[in-house]
Amino acid sequence: MAQMASMIRRRLNRGDGAWAYAFIAVALTVFAVFTAYPVASAFIISFQQYSPMGSTFIGFDNYSDIFRSDLFWKAIRNTVVYTVLTVPVALVLSFAVAIMIMPLKKWMQTTFKAIYYLPAVASGVALSVVWLWIFDPLPNGILNQLIGWFGISNQNWLGSSSTSMFSLVLMSWLSSHGTSIIIYVAALLGIDDSYYEAAEIDGATFLQKMWHIVIPCLKPTTLFLLVTGVIGSFQVFQNAYLMTGGGPNHSTTMVGLLIFDTAFKYFEFGKAAAQSLILAFIIALISFFQFKFMGKDVEY
Amino acid sequence: MKRKTRFAAAVLALLLSLGLLSACGSGGGGSDSGGSTGEGASSGSENSGSDAKDTITALLPPVSPKYQENFKQMEADFNKLYPNLTLKIEPASWEDITQKLDTQVNAGSPPDLAFIGSDGISKYAQMGMLLDIKDLATPEMIEDFDPAPLEYMKKGDGLYGFPAYMEVHALGGNKQFLEEAGIDWKKVQQEGWTYEEFREAIKKGVVKNGNETTRYGFVFATAGVASKDYLGILVKSAGMPSPFTEDLKYAYTNKNFLEVLKAIRQMIDDGSMPKELSSVDAGKRWNMFLTGQTMITGKGLAVFENSANQNNAKIEAGDGSAVKDSIKVDYIVLPVPSFAGQPAVAHAVVDGYVAFRGKKEPSEEHKANVVKAAYFLASGQVAATTNNDLFAAHITDSARKAAENMETNRNPDNVAAVENMLKTAAPARPDIPVELGAQAIKIENEVIIPKLQALLANEITPEEMYEAVKKAAIDTFGEDGVVKE
Repeated sequence: MAQMASMIRRRLNRGDGAWAYAFIAVALTVFAVFTAYPVASAFIISFQQYSPMGSTFIGFDNYSDIFRSDLFWKAIRNTVVYTVLTVPVALVLSFAVAIMIMPLKKWMQTTFKAIYYLPAVASGVALSVVWLWIFDPLPNGILNQLIGWFGISNQNWLGSSSTSMFSLVLMSWLSSHGTSIIIYVAALLGIDDSYYEAAEIDGATFLQKMWHIVIPCLKPTTLFLLVTGVIGSFQVFQNAYLMTGGGPNHSTTMVGLLIFDTAFKYFEFGKAAAQSLILAFIIALISFFQFKFMGKDVEY
Repeated sequence: MKRKTRFAAAVLALLLSLGLLSACGSGGGGSDSGGSTGEGASSGSENSGSDAKDTITALLPPVSPKYQENFKQMEADFNKLYPNLTLKIEPASWEDITQKLDTQVNAGSPPDLAFIGSDGISKYAQMGMLLDIKDLATPEMIEDFDPAPLEYMKKGDGLYGFPAYMEVHALGGNKQFLEEAGIDWKKVQQEGWTYEEFREAIKKGVVKNGNETTRYGFVFATAGVASKDYLGILVKSAGMPSPFTEDLKYAYTNKNFLEVLKAIRQMIDDGSMPKELSSVDAGKRWNMFLTGQTMITGKGLAVFENSANQNNAKIEAGDGSAVKDSIKVDYIVLPVPSFAGQPAVAHAVVDGYVAFRGKKEPSEEHKANVVKAAYFLASGQVAATTNNDLFAAHITDSARKAAENMETNRNPDNVAAVENMLKTAAPARPDIPVELGAQAIKIENEVIIPKLQALLANEITPEEMYEAVKKAAIDTFGEDGVVKE
């Protein structure tokens, strides 16, 4: 009897295994077609001088050209500056907003979350048009009128190397924190009340509770947001493309925009593929070190 | 129960897989979505005889204000003329046409025809993706076109399409402000002006209210890539009608290039142009022109007179859709000044219908049909309607004839001024090899435009920009490949 039951169980399990493969086949096919295949193609193309009429193999020429290019290193520098200026501020802002809306009633929380999430839903192009109005360089521009109240003369926000990067950073600071806020709020809700109760019995202040309970408990969330934030920031393209086109004098040319320009302005798809793979390698390296040094005592 | 669940799940998985496969399928064979171009269209027509059915695809931007409204009529008229042929037009905006076309070209499946500037021919010819129609166009077709614009569609020995119009990139002035500043604009239209005369004129056009400038003498759109138009237009009248001399040496290492850069900075430093010029885009400067914030604007195209007239009519009628705070403007066509004692050379712009091919060699019948479609679009009634809408001169006999009964309200002085400039227009340079042309475009994108943006923003000097361009040119073409100072 037991033997029969075991046999039936094995048969059922064998069937489940087949079904499991059938189900993951959908996701696997999507991954293979839209991720694995393009990555493998990019790897092959990076060793070619690409042409739709027939590509030629040129070894590591694309890679050596890239490493010799001043523009590539300038783009890397710009990307690092942009990342350093945007990601930490985004984390602090999201965390602060999440903490501030936590004590509110449920409907108020939802309202605020929806408001902060709105820029993520809105079209990036539409947002850029609004920001172009804000950064209008003439004295009657919105931001120029604002600084005019403090006696500061009008600035050529996007047209000057000294302010163009700051303008893109400001744009990033004031938009698109909705996802991080929602994740932080969810993580805050996951902290057991008993920690706060124990702290209150011990007479802990608000800041002490923050430091000793909230921040340690949110470490996995912060690490996740940091890693995804850095990855997103290194891949930034849209804002530079729509707002400055990388100028003036390449002061806002980031790696993502450089890859686009290489591919679609100069039709050097081989070099663009090589640049993409170098970018992917840099991102992987940074993510590895982030996990290695910041994820040591993180428990999931 | 478990069996039912499995069945439902299997159906769901199957549907998802089919959805995925069909998505991939439609991506590859975009013939139903207007992308049947190149390989698809070509291969589809391979079995076609001369009267066999065939489809010609065309990627077209809003060439004139009413151009895209006429697409259905154009398709119907073409089909009436050639009952076995279908013209399938894919509309595009000016903003995305290059990207759409480049993507299709690099995927090896471009449209049969695309409306592009003649300066883009070398880029696609270098990739081998253009269709040489030299031996396919009939003598009647060729004879219909004025020779000068047709030359622009050539590269080397090949002819890659038909021109739609030949325009000049000029300047546009506000008649009232020009007269208030004591500028004899009719004389300028007829005889031109030097940079020194132009500089004094735009100084007179400046109006100040205390420290604030309420009207500039001259505003040119220079934000982003528009800056290359600004420089490109000015250097033509500084002894550099093309980036390459006739002996194929790179020309922008000439000392006159530096003189133009100095002039660009001087006009801003004089206060005749806004110090924020580097951020002024095409829309902004046109708004500044219509709202009386500048006396002269650039670049100026003939169609701007039409736009100004339309806005004037709206102001007169009290129509709320007139540009906010705009004033009535009589648009005056003005030539670009000449520099360093060089003769004025107008910047001619020839755009047209360029023929493409896919990875696979198209059939002879399909090639002939593509030429028929290109000629249909570039001549006769279609060209007459489009060019009248653009206020542009007709460049085919058939369009001139078709336009005989069409009315326009162009200022005759402007018509004469454009004709004058066309006489001095820079000639086409089909002799420049595509490789050299592509290298010059790269220098333009990687060095000239970024440095010009920095010069406009007062971050580098004209001398620094000149040295940067010279270095890039020597690195690319070698010491002997560039003009010595």
